[in-house]
Parts: sequence; structure tokens; C-alpha cells
Amino acid sequence: MNSIGTEPYIMLSMVLFLMGTMGVLLRRNAILVFMSVELMLNSANIALVAFAQQWQQINGHIFVFFVMTVAAAEVAVGLALIVNIFRERHSINIDELSQMEG
Amino acid sequence: MEWLFLIISVIAVGAAFMMLQSKNAVHSALFLIVNFGCVAFLYLMLDAPFLAMVQVAVYAGAIMVLFLFVIMLLGAEITTDTSGNMRWLSLAGAAVAGLVLVIFGFPIASNLLDDEGLAPRIGTSLVRVINAVPGGEGEAFTVVEGGFDVPLEGQVTTTVALSSGEESEEAVAIEDVLYNDDREDLREYVEVESGEYTVNVTVSDGNYETTPIYSETLTLEPNSADSIVVYENVDGVIDVLLLEDDLSPTEMGAMRMTLFNAVADETVSLVDVGQYSTLQTLCEDDACSAIIPHRVLIDAVPFGETTSIDLDEGTYNLAFINADNVVLRNLQEYDAERGVVETRVLVQEASDLGGLTIYNASQFGAVGRASFGSPEAIGQVLFIEYLLPVQLVGILLLVALIGVIVLARPDALAQQERRRVNSRRRVSRPLVSVLSQQTGSDVLRGEYLAKLTEGSDDNDPESK
Repeated sequence: MNSIGTEPYIMLSMVLFLMGTMGVLLRRNAILVFMSVELMLNSANIALVAFAQQWQQINGHIFVFFVMTVAAAEVAVGLALIVNIFRERHSINIDELSQMEG
Repeated sequence: MEWLFLIISVIAVGAAFMMLQSKNAVHSALFLIVNFGCVAFLYLMLDAPFLAMVQVAVYAGAIMVLFLFVIMLLGAEITTDTSGNMRWLSLAGAAVAGLVLVIFGFPIASNLLDDEGLAPRIGTSLVRVINAVPGGEGEAFTVVEGGFDVPLEGQVTTTVALSSGEESEEAVAIEDVLYNDDREDLREYVEVESGEYTVNVTVSDGNYETTPIYSETLTLEPNSADSIVVYENVDGVIDVLLLEDDLSPTEMGAMRMTLFNAVADETVSLVDVGQYSTLQTLCEDDACSAIIPHRVLIDAVPFGETTSIDLDEGTYNLAFINADNVVLRNLQEYDAERGVVETRVLVQEASDLGGLTIYNASQFGAVGRASFGSPEAIGQVLFIEYLLPVQLVGILLLVALIGVIVLARPDALAQQERRRVNSRRRVSRPLVSVLSQQTGSDVLRGEYLAKLTEGSDDNDPESK
């Protein structure tokens, strides 16, 4: 069984989430922003699994499952968008994408 | 354990940091894979082996390969740095993140999670009622009511109901459980809130007269699985036993068989009789000097008690025998399925066939709980409780797939390109439109012609 309790996992999850947030806010590369979002989703998953373990409720695992599925769908669509944007503007710097008009 | 967690979390945070500050997008992606690997390891430490495998396969495998593929396809390895005048943002962001970490992290780190603030979830219990009172002919069955013996006529049946609190109609959890009730929903557990419940046993004869003869209050513990067995005591008095069922994971490839002996004045054993499947007795002669070879699985269960055993997967010829080696009940070609938790209640039935006593081993099966976090456990919950969300997520994935195909269609770009080509044509070939206007011949027709003429008018000065 888990001997170190839930708190360390929640702390780690929080640290990773904040790092992901900073990545989203500070990096200018669209792909890196995406990777930071993945990092945030993963940190949320850690928290879910830790709480599931604490209460011995498997529903947390199920939720992680759904988060993973949604993340996979989001990455597929997002990367397709990035590829399209790159084909048009030859750059994926999000500062240069201020206008939505083609 | 602590040091393991510490090492893994330091690697995870380090990899996340390197991912954020790396100048090369490919390096960033590789560091993120390291981070995901650490997270998978943490899942293993948190009793989630299946999620750990999915994490490696889906995240570190599929998603990150997609990222790397796109990065290399676009040739966008070198990421543009944050522009100079935004440099202070990094510092501000780091400061805010640190502040949030302190504000939210302090209560977590100081073990406030274990305080009374978070009450344990209100538990529920699984419960089922097993009626082991076979009833029978009226004369054999009398009810003591107010000091008088009330003999019942006709076929007598007992009915058991379970309700929370007394005399409240709405709170009935299980009702009308008959002996040997074949209704599927009565053989399975009902999930109820734990607490005090009242078991009411009533007797009715063929005239639909019901007489409550027994009532007992039981307490169902949270997160337990109980069978409430109602059986007849030695002198025909109704008794109720709260049997706590062990639904914990069975041994690998085994099932769990629980035997409850409801046969008054008999001690029952469960034996594996091998190829002898239709025995009446284990004795080879009348004096019982020799005994047919058998394997004892459950030895000598006294009346009113239970014993459990883990039975390996396979097919058996089982027999319930009493202390005199007389076979009470045969179970021919019994299939032991792994993961099943089964309760057998051995009951003496009043006989219809000329004084011959019939024993019945009522079967109350259940599927044992798969161990926490295992693929089996996740599958059970995912496809029983969460079937609709699973389908919806499937639809979401399908929509995403179609969306990606639409986005990746060459037309998405071609439309732009075509417009550019069109505008060029408009400028370079005004003559066509002029010709067609003058001669009236439809070199170009319809809408396209109209567009061209319009365009040529606008672009006339440029074309000259």
C-alpha cells in the first residue's frame, strides 16, 4: 500500500501544473504551448489517481481514462491546425497569429 | 518508498523545467517523454498499473510521436525566443507561480488533508437476502402468535423483506424474497446506504394470509457485502444470520466457494468425489468399512455456520456429505470459474416423494471484486457504470478524426491558391473578357464570365 500518503503527490501535481501554466503563458511556439497543455493535463491526472488511491475508489481511474482520450483527440486536431497555419504563414509563433482573418 | 518518490518527482520536475526552457523543440518533446515516463512510474506506485501502461503507450508513445513528427515535418526545431521586451514576463510568471505554490501548497504540505475537514464518503453496503426456509405443508408448520399455536393450512411459504427503519413503506430495500427464488435480481446484491435495517419474515399459506413471525434489526457496515440468511432452527424457529461475504480478489485462477449449513442436526462437508458423480453414499458397503476415495474440500461445517474455500478453476464432481458419509446433494460437472464468489446454502426440503428427504444446495453467485487498479477492475467499472460516457468519448474521437481529415484536406489550401491564381488571371487576360463582351460568344460562361468582366473593369487601369 501507499506509505507516503496523498499529499506529496498533490504537491507534485501542483508544481507540474504551475510549470505547465507558465509554459502556456510564456512560450511563443505553438507546439510548445501544446506540450505545456499536455503537461497540465498530466498533472491533473496524477492528482486524480492519488485521490482514487486514497479513497480506494476506482472512478478516479476512469476519469483519467477519459482525460487521456480527450487529450489524444485535442492533440490530433490541434496539430492539424498548427500544420495548416504553418503552411499558410510559414511560422507558428503565436504572437504573429493575432489576426484571425486569412 | 519516500526516497523513490523523491527521486521520481525530482526527475519529473527537472524534465518539465528543461522542456520549458529548451531552445530546441525536439529536445522539449524528448524531455516531455521523460516526464511522462516518470508519471507512469508514479501511477505504478499509486496502485494503478493499467493506467501506467496506458500512459506509456498512449502518451509517451502515440501522442509524443505525433508531436515529434509534426515538429520535424514543419522543420520548426528552433523556437523563437520570447521577444526582448517580454522578458520581464518570465520573472513575473515565476513569481506568481511561486506565490500560488506557497498559498495552496502550505495547507497540503502541513497534512491538512487528513483533518476533519474532509469527511469520509458516506459508505454504501451491498446486501442480499437469502431465504433458506423451504416452507412446506401446513400441518408441519405452525406459527406461535400471542401464545397460541396457529396451524396453517395448505402450502406455506415464508417471505422475507428488508427495510430501513421500522414500519416505513418507502424505505423497503428488498421485498418478497421467497425460498429458492429464481428471480435474477434477488440473487444479486443490492446497493444500499449502510445503517440499520430490519428483517421481517412473514408466513403465508395458500389463502394469502400473511403473518409476521420474525423481525430483527441488523446493522450493515459501510463498504461491506453481506448476505442475510434466514433459516429454520432445530425446533423450527426462524433465525437470521448476517453473513459477511468476502468479495476481495480471489487467488489467481481460483474461485471462492462458501458453504452455509442450514440443515439442522447435520454436520456437512464438501468433497470432490472424482469420477463418482451420482453416489448416494461414500461407503462401499453397508457397514461402511471402506470408503470411496475422495478429496475433502470443506470439512465438517456445523449447523448455522459457514466456511469458505478457494477452488482452482476447472470442472469437478462435488458432493455435500454428512458426518455419516451419506451424500446429501450431488453437484455433477460443476464448473469452477475464476473470479466467481459463490455461496451455497444447504437446506433440508420437506419431501414430496414418499418420505424421502431432499436436500437443496441453493446457489448464490457473485463476481468477486477485481483488485484495485487492475485492468479487470477498470473494465468492470468502465463498461458497466460508465458505458454511456465511453460511447460519447468514442463519438468525440470520431469527430476529432473527421475534423483532422477535413483540416488536412488539400482543398483547405487550394482555395486560397485558386483565388490567387484567379486574380492573376483577371489581370493578365483582360482581352478574353473584352472579346467575349464584343462578340457575344461565350468563350467563358455564366457566373465566371460575370466575375471576369467585373474584375476586368476594376483592373483595367493596371492592365494597360
